[in-house]
Amino acid sequence: MPAQAQQVLDALLASPALEAYLIVGALMFAIGVWGALVRRNAVVIFMCVELMINGVNLSLVAFADFLPNAGGLGVSYAVLVIAIAAAEIAVGLAIVLAVFRSRRTVNVDEVTSMRG
Amino acid sequence: MTVAFGFLAGMVLVSAFGVVVSRNVVHSALFMSGSFLGVAGFFVMLNAPALAAFQVLIYVGAVTVVILFGIMFTQRPQARRYRTIINRQFWAGLLVAVGVGAFLSYVLAVEEWRSTAPGNGPRAVAQLGRDMLGVSPGAEIFALLFQVVSVLLLVAIIAAIVVSRRKVGTGVDRGVEE
Repeated sequence: MPAQAQQVLDALLASPALEAYLIVGALMFAIGVWGALVRRNAVVIFMCVELMINGVNLSLVAFADFLPNAGGLGVSYAVLVIAIAAAEIAVGLAIVLAVFRSRRTVNVDEVTSMRG
Repeated sequence: MTVAFGFLAGMVLVSAFGVVVSRNVVHSALFMSGSFLGVAGFFVMLNAPALAAFQVLIYVGAVTVVILFGIMFTQRPQARRYRTIINRQFWAGLLVAVGVGAFLSYVLAVEEWRSTAPGNGPRAVAQLGRDMLGVSPGAEIFALLFQVVSVLLLVAIIAAIVVSRRKVGTGVDRGVEE
């Protein structure tokens, strides 16, 4: 096998660096921020918040796997984050349902009765 | 590994983009579950297979189903143009998001993480269980956090029932007066 082909093969089989995982998590967080800022539908805003939470979870698990002094505890924190996100989505959708019952809309810019 | 990483990264980011720009809310929910599935793949690559199983069970299963229920209850058929699904801050929001993403990526890329090597994750499920229960050294705080999260889940269940319960005689449901 020629040396260049061997190099390409090695590069394909090498495990990615810590920064690669962190950047994917950061981009996922940024896309979630964008969606939560521009969409009007409250359910879609919840989805974007979940995207942000998942981006942070990905960073936590990447740190737990790559940093030797972390002791792998980032995975345990990620389990706690998943539990809190599940609680948040349950309460949030209950609030969206309650708002929809009284206002007939889930668009967040039409629910303005508490605006000063 | 790099091939799997590239595939998963594309899956996660394209699906996340689809959540924001798709005009149909159900499509957004399905894109979201695709994105979560990609994150589960990352967890497998990062030596956390038990967490990947949790991710598939809770996010791809439960959260997606709950959100689809929410969509089913709250969406009316409507003309879906971008003007109706996106508020007036579209370009400002895009600017902020690009700024956040570029700043975070730059900081994380130039930071010197000394002596990083993969393979420190709790690959054995027994190790993860000891960490979660606060038995293993250095993880004592989890004995408290585990209990707190359990109580929080109970509170959230009760709160969801109380908030979404329909009180007889108040409001309308699907146009039917009570």
